[in-house]
Amino acid sequence: MVGTSVLRSVAAFAARLSPLKSGNTAANLLTRAIPRTDKVVVRWGHGKRLFVIKPSDYYDRRFLRLLQFYILLTGVPVAIVVTGVNIFIGEAELAEIPEGYEPEHWEYYKHPITRWITRNIYDSPVKDYEKMMAAIQIEKEKADMRLTQLEVRRHMRQQGDGPWFQVPTLNKELIDNSPKSSPDH
Amino acid sequence: MPADYDKGAYPEPPRQTPVVDKQTALPNPALILSKLFYYSVDLPVTTFRDAVDSIRAKNKIVYYHQKFRRVPDLTECKEGDYPCYYEAEMQWRRDYKVDQEIVKVIQERLRACQQREGHSYQQNCAKEIQQFNEVTKNFQSRYGDLGAYASARKCLMKQKERMMAAQAQNA
Repeated sequence: MVGTSVLRSVAAFAARLSPLKSGNTAANLLTRAIPRTDKVVVRWGHGKRLFVIKPSDYYDRRFLRLLQFYILLTGVPVAIVVTGVNIFIGEAELAEIPEGYEPEHWEYYKHPITRWITRNIYDSPVKDYEKMMAAIQIEKEKADMRLTQLEVRRHMRQQGDGPWFQVPTLNKELIDNSPKSSPDH
Repeated sequence: MPADYDKGAYPEPPRQTPVVDKQTALPNPALILSKLFYYSVDLPVTTFRDAVDSIRAKNKIVYYHQKFRRVPDLTECKEGDYPCYYEAEMQWRRDYKVDQEIVKVIQERLRACQQREGHSYQQNCAKEIQQFNEVTKNFQSRYGDLGAYASARKCLMKQKERMMAAQAQNA
């Protein structure tokens, strides 16, 4: 099978398997390998048949193929899920809040996927509000403490009778007063 | 199907379907086209919608409009009480959104009225025009040039300026 393409070698193998079928004789296979180019009927229509020499577009086509693949890899499941949700569950309808009923925080949204997200992934808006208020309270207390600390510093520096701004000096008991005890030594 | 719109705010014009007085034997092209549209577009779309609705009818879900409690205003907060400031700010933001939607509804009514009346809108829609002018003037005076970083404090300061101007004018 020297000098034959893959298809031709497959055809030869098939001929080996069923040698009695018409069109599978060795003469047919060999003649298939050597077509006469001058006697062959070539239908090209009008215009000259050209061998166009252009740079390889393999890399461009490979990029586009891979782009398509990776986009569709997640795009198709997402599209199926969203279409399924819209057809089988559908958007919510507006209703009046029944008496004495406190709706859950996710019952305030229309689309079922938004409801799912706010129910399972996000915290409720009440919790977010409380978190924000807690943060504000902590910052307020920090700011108040800083202001009082500055006030206390000012007082301690001025009055001098507090525990801050004490400069350590020598112990008075270490002073030897014996040369100073008698006036004319 | 979703609930119908408010028929009082958007009154339907009286029907002007003429009496059929066919005087020729030729077919009416308008009738042909309307039948064509009905069978090619209207019927398939309606059947699809009915099919989807029948599937959806088994899993009906509802949603509600949230009602927020009123909290003390910015004027009723003690100075330095930042959580109170935050609550007042959030309430003001919600009220701002509500007012924006109110203005949009009034605009929509005026637009619908103009579309209905055609060239005689200036005299027939006088009520809508007067309502629109009043609502937009009030909105402008309250939330007018606050900008993108509008806050409850800035709005309060604007109100103070308005009151000062009114007092200066009265005096």
